[in-house]
Amino acid sequence: MNFLHFMSANRQQVIELTLEHIQLAGIATLIAAFVGIPLGILITRIPSLSKLIIGGANVIQTIPSLALFGFLIPAPWIGERASRLAILALALYCLLPLIRNTYAGIRGVDPAVVEAGRAMGLTDRQLLFQVELPLASGVIVAGIRLAVVLSIGLATIAAAIGAGGLGEFIFRGLAMVSNQVILAGAIPAALLALAADFLLGLLERRLNSFWLKA
Amino acid sequence: MREAHQLRRRAISACFFVLELALFLPVTGCTTQSEHIVIGSKNFTEQLILGELFAQIIEARAHLPVERRFYLAGTFICHQAILSGRIDIYPEYTGTALTAVLKQPPSANKEEVYRQVEQSYEKQFNLTLGSPLGFDDTFAIVIRGDDARSLHLQTLSQAAAYTPQWRAGFGYEFMERPDGFKGLASSYGFHFAEPPRVMDLGLLTRALVQRQVDLIAGNNTDGLIPALDLFVLQDDHHYFPPYEAVAVMREEMLKAHPEVKSALDLLAGQISDDDMRRMNYAVDRQHRDASAVVREFLSERKLLQSN
Amino acid sequence: MPPTQMPLTSNETASNGSASNATSSGASAIEFDRVSFSLNGHPLLENLSLAVNHGETLVLLGRSGSGKTTTLKLVNGLLMPVEGEVRISGRSTANWDPIRLRRSIGYVIQDGGLFPHFTVERNIGLVPRIEGWDRPRIDARVRALLALVGLNSELASRYPSELSGGQRQRVGVARALAADPPILILDEAFSALDPITRSEMQKEFRALQQRMRKAVVFVTHDLREALLLADRIVLMESGRKVVNLPAEEFSRSEHPLVRAYREAFSAPIEMPTEKRESQ
Repeated sequence: MNFLHFMSANRQQVIELTLEHIQLAGIATLIAAFVGIPLGILITRIPSLSKLIIGGANVIQTIPSLALFGFLIPAPWIGERASRLAILALALYCLLPLIRNTYAGIRGVDPAVVEAGRAMGLTDRQLLFQVELPLASGVIVAGIRLAVVLSIGLATIAAAIGAGGLGEFIFRGLAMVSNQVILAGAIPAALLALAADFLLGLLERRLNSFWLKA
Repeated sequence: MREAHQLRRRAISACFFVLELALFLPVTGCTTQSEHIVIGSKNFTEQLILGELFAQIIEARAHLPVERRFYLAGTFICHQAILSGRIDIYPEYTGTALTAVLKQPPSANKEEVYRQVEQSYEKQFNLTLGSPLGFDDTFAIVIRGDDARSLHLQTLSQAAAYTPQWRAGFGYEFMERPDGFKGLASSYGFHFAEPPRVMDLGLLTRALVQRQVDLIAGNNTDGLIPALDLFVLQDDHHYFPPYEAVAVMREEMLKAHPEVKSALDLLAGQISDDDMRRMNYAVDRQHRDASAVVREFLSERKLLQSN
Repeated sequence: MPPTQMPLTSNETASNGSASNATSSGASAIEFDRVSFSLNGHPLLENLSLAVNHGETLVLLGRSGSGKTTTLKLVNGLLMPVEGEVRISGRSTANWDPIRLRRSIGYVIQDGGLFPHFTVERNIGLVPRIEGWDRPRIDARVRALLALVGLNSELASRYPSELSGGQRQRVGVARALAADPPILILDEAFSALDPITRSEMQKEFRALQQRMRKAVVFVTHDLREALLLADRIVLMESGRKVVNLPAEEFSRSEHPLVRAYREAFSAPIEMPTEKRESQ
C-alpha cells in the first residue's frame, strides 16, 4: 500500500498530527464532562430545569458542526486561535450526550434503592456519591464514550478552520488530489475512534455487569 | 472480592489520570524548536512555487532540513498554523495580510502597506516579514495585446474612453467584492454599453482571446498573460491595493536559526512580475514539476551556491 | 450484643410490652396526633391518632391504598403531615433534623432495598460508617448482626445479587438494626418471600423482638402475619383507622371489616368453577 510508505516517510508529521488530534478531542471531552456531568446531576435535583438544559444542548448539537465553527470565528479571544475555537466547539457538541446520559443514568437507578438510602438517613450528597453515581456509572460512561467518539470524528473537520489534527492531511490531500495524503489522515483518525470506542466499551460493560442487579 | 473491586477501580482511575496528563503535555513546535524548518503554503500554484523557492534556498544556503506542508486551505489556515507553531514560514501577500488578517481598510501606497503589516505582525503575532520578493499579485485588468498596440493603450485611464465600445468579463468574486468592479468602474469612469458578463475564472482568458469579451480582470501573475499575448493595463489611479509577495516567519524560529532570514533575503527583489508569470505558466499549463521549475530558476540566478 | 451510644438508647429493659396504649409516661416512642395527609388534593390519611411504646409491636393492616405505607413514611420524616403532628420520642417530626431522625429509625422494605453495588457487610455497616464509627467497631457489629439474623459469616463479602430472597431480607433486617435504633419500621418486609421462608422469618423476627424490645411498626396485608407478630393491630381502610385493638381482641372482633378479613383468610382453597367442570 502506497500510503503506508508515505506515512513512514513522514513519520514525524503523522505522530505530531495524531497527538494534536488526541489533544483536541481529549481536552474538549474533558471540558464537556466537567460541565455536562454536573449539569446532568443538577437537573435530576431540579427537574424543572431539565427541559431547558437538555433542550439547549439539543439545539447546539443540531447546528451543523462546520457552521458552529464558523459562528465562533468572530468571537473575541476564542476566535483568535483556531485550537481554542475548535476545542470550545467540540466541547459544546459533546454536552448533549453527557448531560442526557448522566440524567438518564441517575433517574434509571432503582427508585427503591434510592428511597432506602434516603430513609436510612443518607444526606443528599452521600446519596449522590455513594449510591446514585456508582449505579449510574455504566450509563454515564456510555455517554462519555459517545462524546469521545463524536469529538474524534468532528476534530477532523477542525482542520478546515486551521486547528490542525489529522484532518489537515485530509484537506491537504484533497487539494493535492493525492490519495496517499488523504488516507494518511483518514485512517489514523478512524483507528483512533475505533480504539477509543472499544476501550470505553470495555469499561462500560465492566461497570454495567458489576452493578447489575439480580 | 471487595479488594479486587477496589483495585480495579483504582486501576481505571489511574489510566484516566495518565491519559489526562498526556493530553495536557504540549504537543507541537510550540515548545522547543526542532531542527528542521517547516514551510507551509496555500493551495494554488503560485503559492506552491513560492513555498518551494523558500524551501530550496534554505536547504541550499542555510543548510537546514526542510519539511514541506503545502496545500493548506487558505489564508486563515496558514495564519493559524504559523501562530500555533505548526509551520515556521509561509508566503503571504501584503494586501491580504492587511485586509484579511489585520482587518484594516486597504491602502494604495506600497511602502505604507508593507510597513503597516510589518509592524503589526511583529507586535501582535511575533511574526517577522521578509523583504518583498519583487512582484505584485494584485488584480490585473487585461486586454488583448493587439488592442493595446493599435490603440496605444498603457493605462486604465486611457482605456476608459473605449469602454463604451467594449464588453467586459469578470469572475463572480470580482463582481461581488466592494473593492471589485463597482469601485473600479467609478474610480476610472468606465461606461460599458452592456453589463459585464460573469463567468468562471478559468473561462475568462479564453473568452478574451476568442473576442467574446474585450476586457477582463485576472491575476497579475497569471502565466497566460505572456503566453497568449495579453496586456495588463497600468493601474495609474492605484485603485487596487498592493499585494506584494513576502515571506512570513516565526520570530522564535529566527532566534534559533538566524541563517534562515539571511537565506530568504537572497530572494529579495529577485522575482519580477514576468518571472512569476513564466513559472506559473510552466507549472500550470506545461504541467512541469514545481520543484524542477524552481531549481531551474534558482540556478539561472546563481542563487544556489554561495560565492 | 453490646448496646451502643445513640441519640436514643433502645429500651433494653422489658417494658409491659403489649396491652397498654397509654401515654401515661408522656413519652411514647411514636405518636400520631390527629394526623392528616394528602397529595395533590387527594386525601391519603385522615385524622389518624395512634401511639407505639418502646417494646411494643404495632401492625398496620389493610388493603393496598389504605394508607399504611403513607403512615410509615410519616414516621421517618419522608413525608410531613398536612394536619396534626407526628411525634417521635416526644418531639414533633417538624422539629427533628430529618437526617438524625432517619438514622435513629431502622427501615426494612420488601426485598430488602439493598444497595446492589455494596457487599453484604458494606450494606449492613452503612449507617455506622456514615455515623463515623471506626472500622473495628463496624466489623464487630456486622459480624454480630449476621449471627443475630442467622446468616453465615462467609456471606459478608457476597453481593446481594448472589443471595436468595430470604437471605436478602435477613440482610435488610440486619442493616436496619446496625446502629441499634430504638424504632424499627417494616413495610411488607416478608411479603415477597415464599411461604416457608416467610414463616421462618416471622418466627425469627418475633424471637428477635422479644429480646430487643424496640418500638416496631410493621405494615402488612396478611392477617396471619399480623396476628403472629403484633401486640396491637390497627386496621386501616381508605386512609382511616378503622379499629385499634390488642391482637387477641382483634381476632375475636365482630367489626364487619375485621370479619371480612378473617373470612378472606380462612376460606378453604378452592378451584375456580371453570376448571372443575372441565375435569
